[in-house]
Amino acid sequence: MASFTGSSFSRRGFIGLAGAAAATAALAACSTGGGSSGGSSAAIKFWNMPWGGTAFNPLDEQITKAYVPASGLGAATYQEVQWANFTQTFSSAVASNTGPAVSSGGGTQAFQFAQQGKIAYADNLLSSWKSNGIYDDFFDGLVDTLKTPDGYAAVPYNLDVRVSWYNKALLDEAGVQPPTDWNSYHSVCAALKKNGVYGFGLGSGAGNFTGSHILAAFMINNGGGLFDENQKPACNTPENVEAMEFVLDLVKSGFSDPAAATYTSANVQAQWAAKTFGFGWDGAGLAASVTGDVVKDMVVGDPLKSNSGKTGGLYLPNNIMMYKNTPNQANSEAFLTYYYQNMKQLWTKNTGIGLPPLKSIAATPEFQADSNNVKIVKEWQPIFKTWAAPGGTGLFYNIANTVDGTAPMTTFAQSILLGNTTATDALNTLQSSITGLMK
Amino acid sequence: MTTGTAIGALKRARSGVGNAGPGRSANNSKRRFSHSRIFFLFLLPSLILVILLNLYPVIYAGIQSLSNGDLLSAGEFVGLANYIAVLQSPEFWHAAIFTVVFTIVGVFGSWIVGISLALLLRTRIPANGVFKVLLLLPWVVPIVVSAMSWNWLVATPQSPLPMLAQALGFGNVLFLANPFLAQITVCVFKVWISFPFMMMMMASALTSVDVNVYEASKVDGATAVQTFTRITLPMIARTTYISWILMTIFCVNDFPSIFLLTGGGPVNSTQTLVVLAYTTVFQNFQTGPGVAIAFMMTIVLVIISTLLYRQIRKVNIE
Repeated sequence: MASFTGSSFSRRGFIGLAGAAAATAALAACSTGGGSSGGSSAAIKFWNMPWGGTAFNPLDEQITKAYVPASGLGAATYQEVQWANFTQTFSSAVASNTGPAVSSGGGTQAFQFAQQGKIAYADNLLSSWKSNGIYDDFFDGLVDTLKTPDGYAAVPYNLDVRVSWYNKALLDEAGVQPPTDWNSYHSVCAALKKNGVYGFGLGSGAGNFTGSHILAAFMINNGGGLFDENQKPACNTPENVEAMEFVLDLVKSGFSDPAAATYTSANVQAQWAAKTFGFGWDGAGLAASVTGDVVKDMVVGDPLKSNSGKTGGLYLPNNIMMYKNTPNQANSEAFLTYYYQNMKQLWTKNTGIGLPPLKSIAATPEFQADSNNVKIVKEWQPIFKTWAAPGGTGLFYNIANTVDGTAPMTTFAQSILLGNTTATDALNTLQSSITGLMK
Repeated sequence: MTTGTAIGALKRARSGVGNAGPGRSANNSKRRFSHSRIFFLFLLPSLILVILLNLYPVIYAGIQSLSNGDLLSAGEFVGLANYIAVLQSPEFWHAAIFTVVFTIVGVFGSWIVGISLALLLRTRIPANGVFKVLLLLPWVVPIVVSAMSWNWLVATPQSPLPMLAQALGFGNVLFLANPFLAQITVCVFKVWISFPFMMMMMASALTSVDVNVYEASKVDGATAVQTFTRITLPMIARTTYISWILMTIFCVNDFPSIFLLTGGGPVNSTQTLVVLAYTTVFQNFQTGPGVAIAFMMTIVLVIISTLLYRQIRKVNIE
């Protein structure tokens, strides 16, 4: 998708939903200005997304409502926010000061609202967590992915990761060992192809952003990425070109499903279930989403060494943010402290939520029972980088409107997966598109 | 009575003034004013509601299209910069062209299927009622379900239609991954979900055609084609134009069909203006240009609708 340049554009709002926009404005005008960081004893509104299966939100609500506030502070209320149109839901609620005091949401949502001055930075909260052990419990480097020049926009919640998966039985059938580098990966794909199985399994269809994530992960794998140290787009680098040439070679060699460019997540899972995909790339929850007898054969692969000898991958640290519009900032922080001390069950009871941000949760017997998750934490987590790579580690405002689930990234992924472009052309187009979207 | 006197009397009668003169005009106008005030007072709550719900959002959206603000803040006035940027974008023109194609195929494709079925259902066929209900299903079923069903039908090489194509010797047909085939697929999908609406409109219009006209044409020796083109079509023209107007609006504003089936891809090949507006605002967070696209769509729709309404008026006069 092209960006429309020519003036300094802003974001959010839409004439197609002009009613919503107007209602927002009207609500904003009518509202009292919302809460403050003063000392109200009103309840803390916590909004959370459906991060797991059907068991997730009921248990999450139970944890939330069990919060016992200190004397004079309000209890916590819970609201599940669906992913459908969540951007509009949060934007209009925050604009009208009817939003939550604490919420999760999109991975880069906190940076967008921070830019609008709506976020209560988590610096004080994190300082307090240094004394109760929560801070040190986070995986190394995780907290800093949410650091902005003005403070911590949010705290890490669950980790959305991109890793390789393979079907052990299909690899055995093809007589190959799981790959460890790009060369051996190419050989594995070739061996699988002989059996009519695809080795570069992924999708980039309607609503499926995984394809673009995987391509970015290959760039990071090769020491590249999309942003330089000044947080400016740097797509057409030698590392990225080499990575995309490797991917294009996989596509043109017939190792990728020719329809992959338009595969939804459901299509991808169906291909795994149909044993058409023998090796591929997806999130940590892939095995849980695939149905049929194939599940027992699903194994997380090793991180691959690129041709330049580098390793790396992409992860999207989902997070929880606090808003300035709170009845009581101290209570927002107290609630979050309580929540982080009690959220372990969301993982130990297998609700389907992504990987935990805390080492103590990863160390529980329930978590350790899943060898795939253990492998991700042990082998992949240390090499993961964010969208900010290779220039930096911390997420920032422009990531949300340039690369994280944006149209130019989907178009880029689809053009590569269709195989009728060159690495340089595709990266140049991407560079110009995301440069136009920068604010 | 002369012609002039008659016309004068008629004018007076129309204005409520009899031959005896205006009579108690002051009292009447007072009463009328008082009635008007009461009517206006009754109307006021609805009027306020309409202004709040319709006019204000349009004005607000207009301001958004001229500024660099967002949902949270008004932003700065940038004049027509958003419109200029959009009009200079090749992506906009690609989406505009596909919107035209999608609309033309959607309107006339669904109309041809709809009127054919409406004519067929007029004949005495067994289980007519059951067919009517079954044929309405594509319109009645939620579009999410329809889109998922079509995805199942065409998305992967193992889907039924690609398997059928392969069995018929067409090779590996990629209905969604091939940009041209994806365009055809979304257009056919649109016709499929829309023809029941056209069928209902045409069926209701056909019932209003007097059967005596058909009998008279038969006596005059008209062929089936002549009967259809010279009698049926002109007599249902008004309803046809109305259904075209409605379907044009439905097609131009159809977001879910394309977004659920292809997301506008592959590589923007099935992107229409409404999908482009959505992705511009909600995926790329460019509010001004997104709203500008939507405004331009609205203007074009108003022009098309006005032209078609003129046609309806012509039909009424004839």
